[in-house]
Amino acid sequence: MKTPILETRHISKRFDMTQALDDVSLALYPGEIHALVGENGAGKSTLIKIMTGVHRPDQGEILLDGKPITIHNSQEAQAYGIAAIYQEPMIFPDLNVAENIFISHRSRGPVVRWGKMYRDAEAILAKLDVRLDARMPARSLTLAAQQAVEIARAISLDVRVLIMDEPTSSLSAHEVTQLFRLVRSLRNQGVAILFIGHRLEEVLEIADRVTVLRDGKWISSTPRSQVTPEQVIRDMVGRQVEEFFAKSTAQRGELLMSVRNLGKENVFQGISFDIYRGEVLGFAGLIGARRTDVALALFGIEPADTGEIILEGKSRQIRSPEQALQLGIAYVTEDRRNLGLIMPMTIAANISLPTLPRYLSRLGLIRQGREQADAEEYRHRLDIRAPSVRVELEKLSGGNQQKVVLSKWLNANPRLLILDEPTRGIDVRTKAEVHHMINDLAAQGLGILLISSDLPEVLAMSDRILVMREGKQMGLFNRAEATQETIMTAAMGHYNSTHTWNDRGEARP
Amino acid sequence: MNWIRRRFRPEQIREWVLILLLIVLILSFGMVIQDYYTGRTFNRISSSIAIIAVMAVGETLVFLTRNYDLSVGSITGFTAYFVGMQLTRNANIPPLAVVLLAIGIGALMGSVNGLLVAYGRIPAVIVTLGTLALYRTMLVEYSGAKTILTSDMPKWMQDLSSTTLFSIGQVDLRLIVAIALAVVVLFQLVLTYLPYGRRLYAIGSNPDAARVAGFPAQRIVFLAFVLSGALSGLAGFMFLGRFGTITVVAAQGSEMQAIAAVVVGGVSTSGGSGTAIGAFLGAALIGLLEQSLRRIPAISEFWRDALLGMLILLAVATDLVIMKRLREFWARGELRVESSGPEGSGMEQPTQEAPHPATGGK
Amino acid sequence: MFQRFLTALWERLKSWEGLLLILLLAIIFVNSRLTPAYLTFENQVNLFELYIEKIIVALIMAFVIINGEIDLSVASVMGLAAGTMAILFEHGAPAPLALLSGLAAGVICGLFNGFWIAYVGLPSLVVTLAGLIGYRGLVYVLVRDRSITAFPDWLNRLGQQPLIGPFTLAMLIFFALAIIAVIILQYSGFGRYVYVIGNSKEVARYSGVQVHRVKMALFVTSGTIAALAGMLYASRLGAMRGSTAEGFELEIITMVLLGGVSIFGGKGSIWGVLLSILIILNLHNGMGLAGLSGHLRAGVIGILLILSVLVPNLAGKVRESLGRQRRLQRAVETVEIEA
Repeated sequence: MKTPILETRHISKRFDMTQALDDVSLALYPGEIHALVGENGAGKSTLIKIMTGVHRPDQGEILLDGKPITIHNSQEAQAYGIAAIYQEPMIFPDLNVAENIFISHRSRGPVVRWGKMYRDAEAILAKLDVRLDARMPARSLTLAAQQAVEIARAISLDVRVLIMDEPTSSLSAHEVTQLFRLVRSLRNQGVAILFIGHRLEEVLEIADRVTVLRDGKWISSTPRSQVTPEQVIRDMVGRQVEEFFAKSTAQRGELLMSVRNLGKENVFQGISFDIYRGEVLGFAGLIGARRTDVALALFGIEPADTGEIILEGKSRQIRSPEQALQLGIAYVTEDRRNLGLIMPMTIAANISLPTLPRYLSRLGLIRQGREQADAEEYRHRLDIRAPSVRVELEKLSGGNQQKVVLSKWLNANPRLLILDEPTRGIDVRTKAEVHHMINDLAAQGLGILLISSDLPEVLAMSDRILVMREGKQMGLFNRAEATQETIMTAAMGHYNSTHTWNDRGEARP
Repeated sequence: MNWIRRRFRPEQIREWVLILLLIVLILSFGMVIQDYYTGRTFNRISSSIAIIAVMAVGETLVFLTRNYDLSVGSITGFTAYFVGMQLTRNANIPPLAVVLLAIGIGALMGSVNGLLVAYGRIPAVIVTLGTLALYRTMLVEYSGAKTILTSDMPKWMQDLSSTTLFSIGQVDLRLIVAIALAVVVLFQLVLTYLPYGRRLYAIGSNPDAARVAGFPAQRIVFLAFVLSGALSGLAGFMFLGRFGTITVVAAQGSEMQAIAAVVVGGVSTSGGSGTAIGAFLGAALIGLLEQSLRRIPAISEFWRDALLGMLILLAVATDLVIMKRLREFWARGELRVESSGPEGSGMEQPTQEAPHPATGGK
Repeated sequence: MFQRFLTALWERLKSWEGLLLILLLAIIFVNSRLTPAYLTFENQVNLFELYIEKIIVALIMAFVIINGEIDLSVASVMGLAAGTMAILFEHGAPAPLALLSGLAAGVICGLFNGFWIAYVGLPSLVVTLAGLIGYRGLVYVLVRDRSITAFPDWLNRLGQQPLIGPFTLAMLIFFALAIIAVIILQYSGFGRYVYVIGNSKEVARYSGVQVHRVKMALFVTSGTIAALAGMLYASRLGAMRGSTAEGFELEIITMVLLGGVSIFGGKGSIWGVLLSILIILNLHNGMGLAGLSGHLRAGVIGILLILSVLVPNLAGKVRESLGRQRRLQRAVETVEIEA
C-alpha cells in the first residue's frame, strides 16, 4: 500500500456553536479517485477548506507524504500541490486561455513571452486531449470548457491532489462524460482526486473509493467494488429512507394554461403544452435542455419572442414578473441564495415581498401586524424551524430557507406554480417534506410545473412529463408510458431500441 | 473572418475606431477653422494632450483593477505647487532632481490612497473622494494662498513647455510631448509584457479568482495607486512647466478629464480590460476636441465641461451596447469539437447558443 | 414586553448609532468648553442654517445609497437649478416661472440620470460622474463668469430671515422632509423596496419588484430635491455664480456614510444619518471656533469620510478576533447553522 499523498487525521473544527467536523480521518492516495459524500451540513466543504488552507483545524493533523504539515493559506496549499476546483469556475474572463492557465505562476521569468505561453498552453491541453484555442478569451468559453482550463491550470502547477467540489452541477451529460474522461486521465497520471458530488449515480460511476460523512463525523470509507447505493444512502442519512414520496393521483381539473409554439431566438423553440389544475407537469431533460429559460419566459423575466401563452381563453403577453404574478403565475428559482431570498431580512419580510402591495395601507405604509400573521401561518403550515418570523434568514438552514422561498410564492396565491429544482442541495428529510407539499398543492387545485434534473423524482411526482433537449421539445408523456428509458431516450434525442441508456446517456447494449 | 477573430479582440477594434474618429475630427475641424493645419496648432494641441495623457495612463492602471482614482487632479496640483515652491527658493536644483521630486511626492500621495483601498478595504470612490478634498486642502494650507509666478522659476523651467527635441519644418516634437509618449509606450509594454501588468488585468477581471490563485492582490492594487500618484506627480511637473503660474486651484477638475480620457479610450469601468494606448487615444480625442472647439468663436469655452460629461456618457453607453454585441459575435462558433482517437474528447459548445447568465445553459 | 423594549434599545445603542451618539455628545462637550454660548438655542439654530441645504440633500442621498446607487451629480444640479432660476429672475420673469423652471431643471437632470441608470443599466457612478461634470458645465454656460445678484427682495428674505419662530423656510422644509423620509424609508412599502433592491437587484426582480420604477423615482426625486436645495442656497446667499455649490457632494455623501449607511447598499437608517448630520454640524462649529479655514475644514470632512468606512471595516476585523464574545451572543439567537 502506497503512502497517501495527503492525509487528514482526527480533524475537528468548530464554528461558534456548531461542531463542523468531529474526528474525521481521510486518506488520499495517488492514482485514486476518492469520492466524498454527505448531506448538506455534513462537513464536506469545511474539510475542503481545511485542506486548501482557508481554515485551520482545532484538533488533528494534516500529513503530506506521511509528514505532518500546517497549511496557513491557499498559497501554501498550492505550493504543496493541492488545488481545488469549485462549481463557480475561478477563471479570468478578460484574459485568454493560455494566460488563465499560467497566470498564477511565479517562475516564468520577468517578461511575458507570449509565443512560448501559447505553445506551453497548447501542450498542456494536448496532454489532456482537450482542443481549445489558447488565444481565446475565457469569457467566451462554456462552463465545461472553463473548468477544463482550471484543470489545465492545476496540471501546470504540478498538482498532486485535486479537489473537485460539485463540478458537475451545471454541466450537460455530454460535458460530464468529457469531464470524467479528463479526471480519469489525471488519475492515471498519478494525481490523487477528491470528488464531491450530490448525484449518487455520478459519484458511483467515477469513484474508486467512497467516504461518507454525516453531521461532521466520518461514517465509512469503502472501495467502489464493495459499495452499494442503498448502503451509501443509509450511511448518509442514518436510517433507511424511502427517497421519494409515493404520489397520489390528484383529480385533474380545468385547463389552466396553454402554451403554443413558444420560442426565443437561439434559446428554445416550438414549446407547446397544456397544463390543468391539480396536475403536476414534469419538465425533464438533461442540463442544457433550456427548461429554466422556458420558465423564465412564462414568468416574464426573459420574455419569449414567438408563440402564444393562453390563459382563460385569451392570449397573454408576459413581459415582466409583475404581469406574470397578476396572471397567477409564480416561479420558484433554483438559486435561492442569489435569486430567491434576501438573507439579512426577516422571514416575514421575505414572504411578503412579491405581494407587498397587499399589506399596504392607503398611505402606502406597511401593515406589520398582518404581514407577521400571514408569515406565521406559513411557518406552521410548512414547519419552518425558527423561533419566530422576525428572525433573519441567514440564520436558518438550507432546507428551512427553501421552505421560506416556497412560502413566499404560495403567499402570492398562484394558480400555476413553477418549481425549478426544488430539492436540489437539500437534505433527504426536507426533500420528502417538499414532495409531500407538492402533492398537497396539486390536490388543492394548483397547477404545478416541476423542473427537475433528478429523473427518479420527475417520474415519481409527475402526472405527465414534457421532455426537452437543447431547447426543443422532444415529447410529452403520460404517467403510464413514462419510464426511465423512454424519458432518457427522448432527452437524448435518439430512438434506438437495441441499446439501453443509463442516466449519463452512455449506451450499453 | 475567423482569422480576424482569432487575432484581434473586440477591444482592439475600438482603438481603431478611435483613430478613425480622430482623423475624421481633424479633417472636419480643418474645414471649419482657418490655419488649422499648421505646426502651431499641432504643437499647442499636442502639448495640452501631453499632461492629460500622463494622468490618464496612471488612471488606467487603477481602473484595470476595478478601482477609481478621483484624487489625481489634487495630486497634480499639489506637486506642481510644491515643486514650484522649491524652485522658487532654490533655483539651482538640477532638473532631474526636480522631476524625481515631483514623482516621489506623487507616489507618496498615491500610496495613501493605495493603503486605504487595498489594506483598509475602503471603496476607492470614497477614499479618493476624501483625498481629493484632503490634498486640495493640503495645497491651500501649504501655499498660504500665495501664487507661484513664472518669473520666479529658473530659466529652464520657464522654457520647459517650448523645449523641443527636434523639428520637422513647423512641427515640433516638444519635450513634454516626448515624455508623454514615452510614458504611454512604457506602460503599454508593462501592461503587455510584465507579469505585474497582467495581474492588474486579472484582479479587475475576477477579484475572487485572483485571491484564490494566490496573488498578492493587495500589494498589486496598492502599487497601482502608487503609480497613479507618481504619474500624476510627473504631470504636475509638466503642468508647472506649461502654466508657470500656479494658484491654489491648479489642476482642479483635471481628474475629470483624465477619467473622461480613460473611459473614452475604452478602458472598462468594471475593470479587466483597456490599454495605455487606448487611454492615450482617449486623451488625444478629448484634447483635440477641447483645443479645436476653442478656435470656433461660436462655441464658448464654457461648453467644455458640459461636452465632457456627454462624452463620458456616450462612451460608456456605446461600450455597453456595442461591446456586448461584438463579444457575442466573437464568441459564436469559436469552439470546435475535436475527437482524437476512439475515446474522443474536447468540449463542445452548441453553436446556436449564447450562454445565459441566470441559467448557465440549463 | 418592557424587557423586549430594553433589549432592543440596548442593541440599538451598541450599534453604529450608539457610537454616533457618544461621538456627538463628546463633540458637544468639547465645544461647550470652548465657548460658553455654545449650548444656547440660538447658536444651535444658527448651526443648522449654515448647512441646511446640504442636509436636505443628504436625506435623499441616504435613499439612493441604501438602494445601492450613488448620485455624484447633486451639487451640480443644485448649481444648475440656482442658475436657471437666477437667469430667469434677471430677465424679469415672473416668480412662479423662475421657481418652477429651477425645479424643472432638477427634474430633467433626474430623469436623464434615471434613464441611463434604471433603463439602460449603466453604473450610477459613471453616469452621475458624467452628470457632475456635464451639469456643472451647463451652469457655466448659463452664467459664464458672472455673479448674478438680481434676486427679488422677497426671495432673499425667504432665504435669509426666519419664517416661523426662529426657523427659516429651509429649516422648516428640512424638518418636514426629515419626518417624511423616516416614515417612507422605515415604514412604507416603497422604503422596503429601496432596501430590498439595495440588497440584491436580482432577488428584487425575481420577486416581481419593479426595479426600474423604483430607481427612476429615486433619481428624479434626488434631482428635484437637489434643485430645491440649490434654489434655497442661492436665495440665502442672495447671489449665484458658476461655482455655486461646487464640491458639496463630498460633505453630503459623508453625512450619509458616517450615519451608518453602507456604501454597498441594503443597510442603514435615517436616524443614523440625522445623528451624523448633528455630528458634522457641531464639528463645523467647533472647527470654526478653533479658527480653521474653510479649506481646512473640507480636509477634515475628507478624513471623516474615509474614517466612516475605515472604522467599521477595522471594527469588523477586531470583532472577528474577539470571536468568543460573539459566539455566546449568537448562541441565544441562532436557530440552525449550516456547517
